[in-house]
Amino acid sequence: VTTLKHILLVLAVVIATALALFLRFRAVEQLPIDYDEDDYLRAAQQYAVAMQNGEYGALTQLNYRPEHPPLAKIIYGLSIVSLPAVPEIPDLATNSSPASSLPQPHLNRARYTAVFLNGVAVLITAFINPIAGLLLAVHTYTIKYSSQVMLESLPMLTSALAVWFYWKSKFKINAWLVGSAVFLGLTASAKYIYALIGIAILVDWVLITRRKDKNGHWTFLKQATIWGVISLITFYLSNPYLWPAPIERLVESVTFHGGYAQSQAVQNANFPLWQPFTWLFSSVPWHPGVFLISVDLLIAIFSIVGLRSLYNKRSVYFWWLILGFFFLLIWPTKWPQYLLVVMVPVCLSAAYGVQESIKFFHLPKLIRPKRDQIHLTFKDLGIALPWLLPGLVTLGLIAIYPLLYQLAMAMTDFSVGAIRDGLSGGVWREFWLGITGQIEPTSVRLLSFNPSRSVNYAGPDLIFDVLFSFEGANLLVFEIIWSTLTVGIQTALGVFVALTLNRKGIRWRNFWLVLFILPWAIPEFIGALMWMQLFDPRFGWFVLAQSNFTQRVTLPFLINPLIPGWQDNPTQALVYLIFPAIWYGFPFMMLAANAGLKYIPQEVNEASELDGATGWQKFRHVTWPLLLPLIIPAMIIRLIFAFNQFYIFLTFQTPYPVSTFSTTSYFYFADAGAYAFSAAINIVTLIFLFGGIFAFTRWTKASQGVAYA
Amino acid sequence: MHKRTRRGTLFDHLILVGIALFVIIPIWGMLRISLDGSIKGAPTDFALLPVEFTLSVYEKVITKPAQSLSILGVARNSLIVSTGAATLSIVFGASMAYAFARFRFPGRQSGLFALLLGALLPPVALMTPLYIILSSIGIRTSLLGLIVVYTAFSMPFCVWNMRTAFQAVSKELEEAAFIDGATPFKAFWWVTLPIAVPSIAVAALVAFLAGYTEFAIGWLFIENSANVTLAMSVWGMMGRATWSELAALSILMSFPVVIIFIGLQKVLVDRLLLGTTNA
Repeated sequence: VTTLKHILLVLAVVIATALALFLRFRAVEQLPIDYDEDDYLRAAQQYAVAMQNGEYGALTQLNYRPEHPPLAKIIYGLSIVSLPAVPEIPDLATNSSPASSLPQPHLNRARYTAVFLNGVAVLITAFINPIAGLLLAVHTYTIKYSSQVMLESLPMLTSALAVWFYWKSKFKINAWLVGSAVFLGLTASAKYIYALIGIAILVDWVLITRRKDKNGHWTFLKQATIWGVISLITFYLSNPYLWPAPIERLVESVTFHGGYAQSQAVQNANFPLWQPFTWLFSSVPWHPGVFLISVDLLIAIFSIVGLRSLYNKRSVYFWWLILGFFFLLIWPTKWPQYLLVVMVPVCLSAAYGVQESIKFFHLPKLIRPKRDQIHLTFKDLGIALPWLLPGLVTLGLIAIYPLLYQLAMAMTDFSVGAIRDGLSGGVWREFWLGITGQIEPTSVRLLSFNPSRSVNYAGPDLIFDVLFSFEGANLLVFEIIWSTLTVGIQTALGVFVALTLNRKGIRWRNFWLVLFILPWAIPEFIGALMWMQLFDPRFGWFVLAQSNFTQRVTLPFLINPLIPGWQDNPTQALVYLIFPAIWYGFPFMMLAANAGLKYIPQEVNEASELDGATGWQKFRHVTWPLLLPLIIPAMIIRLIFAFNQFYIFLTFQTPYPVSTFSTTSYFYFADAGAYAFSAAINIVTLIFLFGGIFAFTRWTKASQGVAYA
Repeated sequence: MHKRTRRGTLFDHLILVGIALFVIIPIWGMLRISLDGSIKGAPTDFALLPVEFTLSVYEKVITKPAQSLSILGVARNSLIVSTGAATLSIVFGASMAYAFARFRFPGRQSGLFALLLGALLPPVALMTPLYIILSSIGIRTSLLGLIVVYTAFSMPFCVWNMRTAFQAVSKELEEAAFIDGATPFKAFWWVTLPIAVPSIAVAALVAFLAGYTEFAIGWLFIENSANVTLAMSVWGMMGRATWSELAALSILMSFPVVIIFIGLQKVLVDRLLLGTTNA
């Protein structure tokens, strides 16, 4: 069995690597010249010329684009050293558009070098987990930025090696650990941001040491110091530019980023804080046809599913992923290539996610019929049918038929210009002609619509666009962040208030309860209006208060409560939207938690108090585990409502992508008259709702078991 | 057992006061604006209390809340639409809910799943197709059109909740009726339904409130100003009326809803959780 396993593993590794190389070779040949490629090729030329002339001393003086360390640029230089020198590529401003042409074969030689390095990274990842290797092989951003003369390929490889060797070392000083330190040093000389794996390794190392041995700090400190010193030495050795002035040049290089983050190029992009997630949830939106496979959305979803397994099986990769995303979120510059910093752990997590899902939907279990199932016949249906009929007919006419009609609409290009045709049956006509293959679908793209005088069949492209396009990913990522953030805070606040109200010695309990219910009792859009009257950027209560007080007294630390134009900045808009959402939603969670607390027997609390539990311990180990299953139905309902939140967004008028599917669909319909887009978004909403209700039915069954126990 | 210290209790109360401030500030902000006669258009000065206390704004919005209708006119439209939707949902849904509660039949599980899906569907997801369908049969801009739309939003929720209500009625009562020679319909009509009436009324109330507070889809569908509802007239004031008028009408409109929610909070939480708390 083991030999077969080995053969299969080797086969999978070979397939993943071959696929990676195939897709990247294709990309090298087809991708146009991108930003920065001219810069790094120019740097490579300088190194190549120096090496051709035997002036190795020049290596200590050369580092074009000094904000990045030189190692990757030196490697590119080595790759073109055997080619005849050509005139140096001109020095263009950092933010100028991509070069129109670059010398060949120099460009391709450098590009293939990047591909080779990334191929090795895929190979290593596949060796750890073949599915992870496959996913990394087909991930479009990884393909793009490892098939161009960018700095990503080398640090991605060295960081993967450093973490892998660390894990192999079993946390003892040995050859593996030395290797890990060396590759960490090389990573830092290739691109600084990738060196955050050093922090991930240390976090993991500390936690594992603490778990194994309470008094292990000294051994850990000793080992980690040796490890750190080796990587620092490697960093300096592999970074010749630093040799003449080690400290000055390092400071100069590192401090560059502070200024760059404030630069016009970064400001103009106006990316929201969560932009890295948008890159993660979408495929490369440019260069259609180059990447062949685009499963980036699935990688993202599976990586969430697999997080728990990742933590249990290979915790260091978990910390790499978490710290990596934390850093990407707070880092002000949000270029898409930064995503590659975390792609190795993301693909590993996704691979575990795939394995978990296969286990969860274990096929034989699904196919096998349930035992003890009463055989239901058409006779049973005959008895029930007269009772069902009035409801079925009504719902059929006003809900089921409209939803089917909506599906047909989503597969056309129906917009306001074609309203006459649409009202006289155009949608069904085109849908029928289209699915029976009598007409070819016209091409439609989300966000760029072509008004036509008649309805035309368009196939399922729009629905796929909402799910898989970059524009759709923007919305989906906002939806996920919005729902989890608001419901998380609502639950925390609701449970906290319910617990406080249930403490001993609280006076006027019912008064507080009624007061806290108020936001929930007020219609959602009136609540949103109330907050809008506070937040309005010109006449709002807060902005007036600020100008009022700053006129009379100067408060040195007065924080600007309302930044003018907050509605146009996605991150600030999210912050202001959260207030009405929490305000409106927390009472419901408070009531649910309050009802749940009644189910927790008093004896349990008293027993834990006798055992000397402190307030927090009691909550963490007694109350919360008992309460959680009781409030999960409420949380799922709130999640579904948050996902579909509409009136707050309608009132606050925040721009795309700070918008839910519902709101976007409404504006497409009401303002743009793009009926088909609205329908396509609604179909996707239905798909997600389907998943939400699936979770709800599963959990409510589980929670009922606990409630009756 | 630990005795709570006086300081600890004081601290708890301070927390409650802090949360109360978070709850009250926006409400007070709107209330204050509605009671302030000094605001012309939008407020220009910071104030905690009304500068010129007055009820005249309320008088004004009561006499003329929308373009051509009095408050009675818009309230009447609201009542027609919301009551219509609630009634249709109950009348056409009751027997279906009973079938889901009492009978076993093929497709029952998927039917229940579909009902949940309908109950949690965002209104916008039905708005798009209903706009086109109702336009093509020519009732989109009428109150009847709105009744149809709001029934579509509320009916699955009502059926789901009526089903829970019927399940709560003990089967033995019906069986006793069968022994006395009642048909299934008679047992339903004379035994189960009367017992379930309070729960059905709550379901109807939720359906009523859904119609009463909806405005965005109403604005999209209604073109004739005679058919504007109360919630729609609040939204219609945005950008047209003064901040005080908008605030006053908002508060007037919310008042009955707030009373209902506070009075029925326990039942409503259970209903909005689709009967899963077993409270």
